[in-house]
Amino acid sequence: MAAEQTIEPGNRIASRWRWQWLLLVFPALLVMGVVAFATLKPVKVLPRVRPAPSFILTDQTGQRLTNEDLRGQTVLYTFGYTGCGAACDPLNAIMRSVQDDAARYATDGLPITLVTMFFDPVRDTPEAMQAYAKSVGVDPARWHLATGEPARLKQTIGGGFEVYYTPQSDGGFTFEPAAVLVDPLGIIRGEYRAQAQTLDTKIVLRQLDVLAQEMRNNTAAGRLAYEAAHLFLCYAQ
Amino acid sequence: MPAKRVRVLILASLGLLAVAIAAWLLLPRLLPYNYHGFAMEPTKPVADFTLEGPNGKPVKLSDFRDKLTVLYFGYTYCPDVCPTTLAELAHGLKGLGRKADKVQVVMVTVDPERDTPEMLAKYVANFDPHFIGLSGTPDQIAAAATPLGIYYQKHDGTAATGYLVDHTASVAVIDQNGYLRLVFPFGTSGEEIASDLAHLLK
Repeated sequence: MAAEQTIEPGNRIASRWRWQWLLLVFPALLVMGVVAFATLKPVKVLPRVRPAPSFILTDQTGQRLTNEDLRGQTVLYTFGYTGCGAACDPLNAIMRSVQDDAARYATDGLPITLVTMFFDPVRDTPEAMQAYAKSVGVDPARWHLATGEPARLKQTIGGGFEVYYTPQSDGGFTFEPAAVLVDPLGIIRGEYRAQAQTLDTKIVLRQLDVLAQEMRNNTAAGRLAYEAAHLFLCYAQ
Repeated sequence: MPAKRVRVLILASLGLLAVAIAAWLLLPRLLPYNYHGFAMEPTKPVADFTLEGPNGKPVKLSDFRDKLTVLYFGYTYCPDVCPTTLAELAHGLKGLGRKADKVQVVMVTVDPERDTPEMLAKYVANFDPHFIGLSGTPDQIAAAATPLGIYYQKHDGTAATGYLVDHTASVAVIDQNGYLRLVFPFGTSGEEIASDLAHLLK
């Protein structure tokens, strides 16, 4: 006690300030951490854009294919018609690149599924779709080709996926080539469109990796980081 | 104890208290709230649609703009999934207390063949008198359900039940500006729903 009373006044002030600094360290670190997370964006995610639309279609084997059948799997969708020709080559090239490496983009042990929706059930019959599948190198285990009733198809492709198509007098269609990425929960996570110059194999493959990683790591411990990444819009390019 | 030491102690405890209060106030604002439902990051409002209200009046999604709209697709003959979900929603709304006034639960039938507007109104009122039931033509219902990812398909039941309708049992939450904010998967509890809705109403 005697020693304490000999402390000079200046020292006492200094020791009091040291106390308060220590007590400020925790919130300061917290704020710095949040700011660092928001600016450095160490965790990248794909936005949860909106739910993927529902559909009931018939695939190239005559089997029914619905959005509920595909729940639990990552799905990459493209759109076209069997008489599409060279206009669909870029779309099919993207799909084949993904098909060739399907296991890499697996989520929950399920490889990625590919679906191409066809605009015209009259011409795009199961036989026509099968012939088309052969010509573009479709692996029927991974890649579904499907079509359905025109009015519902329009609601799904136009209204839901926001890919618009118009029939032409020659039986063809004008449409904007696009691919759409849907996660295992049925939520749209990526839209790749010719006009936005995002319809690019490299971009699609890169984002598939980001999604596969998020689906693997967004569990108990990683959830906070991933939800923070969504909150701070840490979107992958 | 010397007076100076007491002063240091008091200052230290005051400082600690200040930090505790600051942390208590800041933490919930700094750490993101973890929704129980799937939180969406929409870039535009849900496309408006028109359905048929209790008296056959047309009702638009945008008519509910002043509230959080909690949208569920089901049907009155539904044996298990629909009553469970509607009961959880009713339970959740009770948990919200006065804030429940800012929430409108809407059930849209996926079975317009059998669900008349009167039957729907009576059915939803069993769960909560403020719930609204909407019907419409098959085209109107498809236009509402498809973009929200709601699948539905008739299939055979037993002689006692008649046909059944398989349908996606998730619940969509649309905010006051028409943006889809949350999707609750089937099985989300009333407490979880109440907590998420309360956060959206902040």
